[in-house]
Amino acid sequence: MQVDMTVNGQDRSADVEARTLLVYYLRDAVGLTGTNVGCDTSSCGACTVLLNGESVKSCTILAAQVRGADVTTIEGLADGTALHPMQQAFMECHGLQCGYCTPGMVLAATSLLADNPRPTEAEVREGLEGNLCRCTGYHNIVKAVLHTAEHDAAFWQARASKSGVTA
Amino acid sequence: MSVGGTPRRIDSEGKVTGVTEYPADRIPPDALVAKVVFTNQAHARLTSLDVRAAEVTPGVVAVFTAPDVPVNVYGLTLPDQPVFVGTSHTGRTDVPCDVSRWEADHLALVVAETAHAADQAAAAIVATWEPLPVLGDIDEAMAPGAPLLHPENGLGHNVYTTYNIRKGDMAAGWAAAAAVVEATYEVPYQEHAYLQPEAGMAYIDDHGRVTVEIAGQWTHEDREQIAHALDLPEDEIRVIYPAIGGAFGGREDTSLQIVLALAAWRLHQRGEHRPVGCVWSREESIVGHHKRHRGRIQARWGADAEGRITAVESEAWLDAGGYNYTSNKVLGNLHLGQGGPYEVPNAQVTSHAVYTNAVPGGAFRGFGGPQSAYVAECQMNKLAEALGLDPVEIRRRNVLRDGSIGITQTPMPDGVTIAQVVEACAAAASTPPPASPSEPFTPFATLGPAAGDLRRGRGFACAFKNVGFSFGFPERCEAEIVLHGAVGDDAPHGADLFHAGADVGQGAHTVFTQMAAEALGLPIERVHGHFSDTAITGDSGSASASRLTWMAGNAILGAAEEADKAWRNGDRPAVGKFRYVPPPTEALDPETGVCTPNFSYGYVAQAVELTVDTGTGHIRVDRVVSTHDVGRAINPDLVVAQIEGGVVQAHGYVLSEDLQVRDARIQTPRLSTYLIPGIGDGPTVIEPLILELADPIGPWGARGMAEMPMMTYAPAVVAALHDATGVWFDAFPLTPSRVLARLNESGRP
Repeated sequence: MQVDMTVNGQDRSADVEARTLLVYYLRDAVGLTGTNVGCDTSSCGACTVLLNGESVKSCTILAAQVRGADVTTIEGLADGTALHPMQQAFMECHGLQCGYCTPGMVLAATSLLADNPRPTEAEVREGLEGNLCRCTGYHNIVKAVLHTAEHDAAFWQARASKSGVTA
Repeated sequence: MSVGGTPRRIDSEGKVTGVTEYPADRIPPDALVAKVVFTNQAHARLTSLDVRAAEVTPGVVAVFTAPDVPVNVYGLTLPDQPVFVGTSHTGRTDVPCDVSRWEADHLALVVAETAHAADQAAAAIVATWEPLPVLGDIDEAMAPGAPLLHPENGLGHNVYTTYNIRKGDMAAGWAAAAAVVEATYEVPYQEHAYLQPEAGMAYIDDHGRVTVEIAGQWTHEDREQIAHALDLPEDEIRVIYPAIGGAFGGREDTSLQIVLALAAWRLHQRGEHRPVGCVWSREESIVGHHKRHRGRIQARWGADAEGRITAVESEAWLDAGGYNYTSNKVLGNLHLGQGGPYEVPNAQVTSHAVYTNAVPGGAFRGFGGPQSAYVAECQMNKLAEALGLDPVEIRRRNVLRDGSIGITQTPMPDGVTIAQVVEACAAAASTPPPASPSEPFTPFATLGPAAGDLRRGRGFACAFKNVGFSFGFPERCEAEIVLHGAVGDDAPHGADLFHAGADVGQGAHTVFTQMAAEALGLPIERVHGHFSDTAITGDSGSASASRLTWMAGNAILGAAEEADKAWRNGDRPAVGKFRYVPPPTEALDPETGVCTPNFSYGYVAQAVELTVDTGTGHIRVDRVVSTHDVGRAINPDLVVAQIEGGVVQAHGYVLSEDLQVRDARIQTPRLSTYLIPGIGDGPTVIEPLILELADPIGPWGARGMAEMPMMTYAPAVVAALHDATGVWFDAFPLTPSRVLARLNESGRP
């Protein structure tokens, strides 16, 4: 079946089987391989993308269910060559090792700060509990999220007020 | 200065933007799809195999089975495993290839136009099996009359590797003991659960080489194993590692390497030149690769009234599973650790590897060390309790020091710093003073905490672990540096570094680049690395045994010196190649274990504070002080990252990860049933403490450290749990149900 959606600001259309999961639509039909697959049980969150601005595990949803939606993958997070503050923070704080969980983790964290621009450490941990990492022990991931919340506060406040959330 | 600095990881931008390519990302859209068909038989003889229906399934290109493999046997340290189980023997091996000894033995590789066609064809394969008795664990495998899983080894039993240590006079040791502690310990499996499941691609490159792109830990060893099975010269095989999504020892043995190479090679012979790709599901990954060994260790230790060890008697059995993988090497490490990092005057230590039909045991961060450190440190803490000694004080009286003779009766390599590590950890753990009684907690939001059931405890453990390969293995590491500049230039303006070492996520390539920049006196941006491709890099050895920084650093220092000589000789470009060989080691003497086992060690101590809810059995680790002598932190941020990651991986091993195996079959092959720590599950506070007491032969004084956080967490947690409840736990994982059952059984607290 034909499935259309906007991916990273571009209109995409592909003829896929009805059972195609969003993650495979993105990887195989659109050719964006930054979204990773780590499990078959929605346990790991490596496949997290933004669907109309909210983070979702793209293995839990059929491509056909999100026709017409606006999807952001890790490839679409930077503004041209300028990295997104969350990407910068993960680089600076060593919030990654093997990097396989990183795209999902970065996007989930972006969604978290859009809802809650100044979270506590506990709120960061609660907000990212759907994303597994086997390498870092999570401390540098938490550090990265708190770092950007503090250092890029204006950016996150602007995002929050746009999405109707007040801190 | 590059060494000791904390530059951004060279791979970090690619990883945060999604540009980094893992093996599955490299598979082009026109690639053929391969599916590995497991035998799904824990123990059975294949009596017939019919793949005709599979071959004519629409969309199927080929079905490969045992007769397609020139040398149908492989194995990293012992070739005992058929590439495919098949009815016909393809020679060049004594291993009977018609027996499935593991549920994930390979039966066939289906290659098709689509995954759907490959699945359909796999289902159309008709195999008939003669069931054989399933040896589900070491007890069944060692029972009288148990069938032999590898009769070809001529041993007549399934215990296929045994090591000994016989030192001193045991009778005198027991006579001198004021306290004796004795227990039987059971250690569990651990699944690596690297986030990137196995995936790879094979094709014939422009030079006609059978090329495999995959995630592994040792390119040249993968190449050797592929060449062996395909009966081709090694230079006709090429192995490339794109980005690797974690490894932890789980990629030390091959997974898809040989079958993908076979498929590309055979298809090429038939005029089919498209690449062949394969991506495993999480379930295929968990069922289809080895685990940290489960096992049993019986230990009896004695100490005199001052707490000095007088005798260690210990015997261990590791469940190797159906095939050796690296079990014989893991066993050696476990063997050496059974006496702990202590002066042991009298020792009788025996270690066995046992074939069963369960999942093979193999490499996993620590490589046998965590199992023996758990036992040794529990024994030490029990001796301290029996003698009324402080756990730190009893270690102070026993630890190895410079000049000490190790348990294998040869001197320790210079730079023994376990005493300093123990002192530093103890000091850090006692400041700030112990926290006030814990807040009530519960893992269930709806279940009210029962404050009256909370108990707090503290525990301590220390360990050593070899850096580099042990027991006479021909250890080496190669590096090449090419300096660029014009004739007449005083100094090069840039350099290329060629190194095969695998960056499995630990940051090896960043650290290599830092070390090369330091050795050459160049800014790090002027050093361009070319990594992990057998076509352009020399043999580095594996990303394992906490060895890569240590070995690569020494190789890079040598290559830099050679390149500098060439530069001063006027060569442009100036090329320096170097093969570093560390001091030799020796195999264990079969009777006494006498040998020089290792050339370098890392030293670690951990102090743990925890709270246990004796009503529910839930444990929260409040604080862990993880103390490491790393010799020299080449990149302090990455050292801390290894400690934090290692501690949380150890936390899962000790508390939540519970691989269920029944009748030799894995019952928990998903991340929804095999529970690795999430972001809210680890210790509340991890305090990494780094000492830099140089290893005399380490590059810039560095020691290996990546495995060390794994070594002592289990005994430190168990000691803290004992402190809290008065109950010793001689088995783990410490899941709530196990904790509760043991507390109830002991009638405490």
